Amino acid sequence: MTFYDIAHESWLSISGNKMRSFLTVLGIVIGIMAVVIMVAVGETVQQSITDQFSSLGTNTIMIRAGAAQSGGVRSGNRMTLTMDDVTYISQLPDVAAASPVENSAAQVVYGNKNWSTSMVGVYPGYATVQNIEMEYGSFIDESAVRNASTYVVIGPDTAEELGMPKNPVGEIIRVRNTPLTVIGVTKAKGESGMGSQDDMLIVPITTLKKRINGSRFPNSVGTISLKLYQDADNNIATDQITALLRQRHKLKESDADDFQITDMKQVMETMTTVTGYLTLLLIAIAAVSLLVGSIGIMNMMLVSVAERTREIGIRKAIGAQESTIITQFLSESILISFIGSMFGLILGVGLSQGVGRFVMHYNVPFSIWPVVVSISVAVVVGLVSGVMPAIKAAKLNPIDSLRYE
Amino acid sequence: MSTTPIISMKKICKSFPLEIGGEQQVLFDITFTIKSGEFVAIMGPSGSGKSTCMNIVGALDSASSGIYELYGKDITTLLPDELAKIRNEYIGFVFQNFNLLPKRNILDNVMLPLMYRGLPMEERLMRAREMLKLVGLEKFETYLPTQLSGGMKQRVAIARALAGNPKLILADEPTGALDSKMGNEILKFFKKLNKDLGITIVMITHEFEIAKYANRVIHIYDGRITYDGVIPKNESVLLKSEKRAHKK
Repeated sequence: MTFYDIAHESWLSISGNKMRSFLTVLGIVIGIMAVVIMVAVGETVQQSITDQFSSLGTNTIMIRAGAAQSGGVRSGNRMTLTMDDVTYISQLPDVAAASPVENSAAQVVYGNKNWSTSMVGVYPGYATVQNIEMEYGSFIDESAVRNASTYVVIGPDTAEELGMPKNPVGEIIRVRNTPLTVIGVTKAKGESGMGSQDDMLIVPITTLKKRINGSRFPNSVGTISLKLYQDADNNIATDQITALLRQRHKLKESDADDFQITDMKQVMETMTTVTGYLTLLLIAIAAVSLLVGSIGIMNMMLVSVAERTREIGIRKAIGAQESTIITQFLSESILISFIGSMFGLILGVGLSQGVGRFVMHYNVPFSIWPVVVSISVAVVVGLVSGVMPAIKAAKLNPIDSLRYE
Repeated sequence: MSTTPIISMKKICKSFPLEIGGEQQVLFDITFTIKSGEFVAIMGPSGSGKSTCMNIVGALDSASSGIYELYGKDITTLLPDELAKIRNEYIGFVFQNFNLLPKRNILDNVMLPLMYRGLPMEERLMRAREMLKLVGLEKFETYLPTQLSGGMKQRVAIARALAGNPKLILADEPTGALDSKMGNEILKFFKKLNKDLGITIVMITHEFEIAKYANRVIHIYDGRITYDGVIPKNESVLLKSEKRAHKK
């Protein structure tokens, strides 16, 4: 028998019982579709995490004031970090830029427009740390920090919400009755999960503390954000920062750190691992439906063998060998599985891409491996679910089969 | 008629295991030879063992003991796949209930043994059409078996049996499912095949009138051959042989 003969015979058998074949194929379609969609969901989540971190850079480190835990209670509000710490840290060999970060909510007024957004007080190094590029004007400089100048850099969305002119450099906005001169507008970064960076006010930290918030501790810093050079090792840098801060804070050997360092690379690795496991879990659940589908094939093939006992007898009587009968039944189950897998793949990819792009407006990554896996699964499922019925068919005694009514 | 033996059975016995244990012997020391070009009827009443005998002759079943040589080759101990090859190459089957594949057209049915032989498609088509023409059904090649009369179905079965160009046709009650007119047509066709093409035909029947179309009759009763020779003038000869066997 040639390959054409086998495929032709299989097709004739499958198409001879359309409704039953359709329902069996449907089981595989649903199984493969579920797996493909779950893979797409997992990859989308991972992609989104990677995107968020890559906008920050994995060579970013955050230092928060206060010990990680003190008697079981996190004490992040203790003012252990100072502006001087920032200066010393930025002098470390691996550190490209460092900036204190002070967050605050802000009600902005421009003309008769009012807009509620977030405000951050920083050093000039913040632009490097956050990969900020300028659309108009310039970023905050050293002298602005030194003089606590009433300058502000705004995000493009903030400018739009306030109805400012296209290039708003030189315009005055008011925050808590403090007039601030717009000296620059950042380039749009697109959406970012943890609060849009396109809707934000950036002011010198000194301006925020002294002029806007009127802080009683102008020298203390809640958070320091810093960026390492590309070739720097995050672990070595973390150790250096720890040693430096412990020395500056005059901590004894037995004292715990009075600050907490978060390495973004580690955070990303942890999140990637966790989402990886979640994806596996989703795929495992989807695989159950694929398993049910393959049991459907086995069931159909067993019924088919029983129904076609006489046909098998005829075929054997006129010269079909056991291997030929096995090949025929196996190819039928593989063909069913293959057709199901192809439709499942098309529907799965179509649905995940369609829903992702047009409903959720997210670019769902398309990878080749669900295609490879679907085809392999089709062959394996077909083989596994067809092998028992095929052997049963091949072992039928031709005499008994011919007598079968 | 050539003298070359096609079938040679020596002391063939066949037993079947019983569900309650032990076994039942259905054939006892069956010994005969059939030469090329013969038309032999194997006769016997129901349960005599003639179908079991035919299954062994047709390589559908193996003997429990004895030696069966087909074309001089001992096939008693061959494996199932080897027997399948023998059936495909040397034997054409014609069954009582036709045994055509109901969902395939008659051309496909006739081509089936040629597919298992591995012939290329053009050759299969040519050979199958030739055979359908021989049985007078060339205009019906796209018909399904269910669209044909019983006689036509049996002619398709004969075309299928002849397609592989076998030297031996085994017919198991070939007229059993047909009315007498159609039955006679089929038997005349067998006679023609035997006479004109020299094809050896072994036919199982329990009717003496049908056996008369053959040149020789082997009568089986209770698993033993009671008569082997030319067709007697009337059936009483065969019945007497049964009685003699019974007395023994």
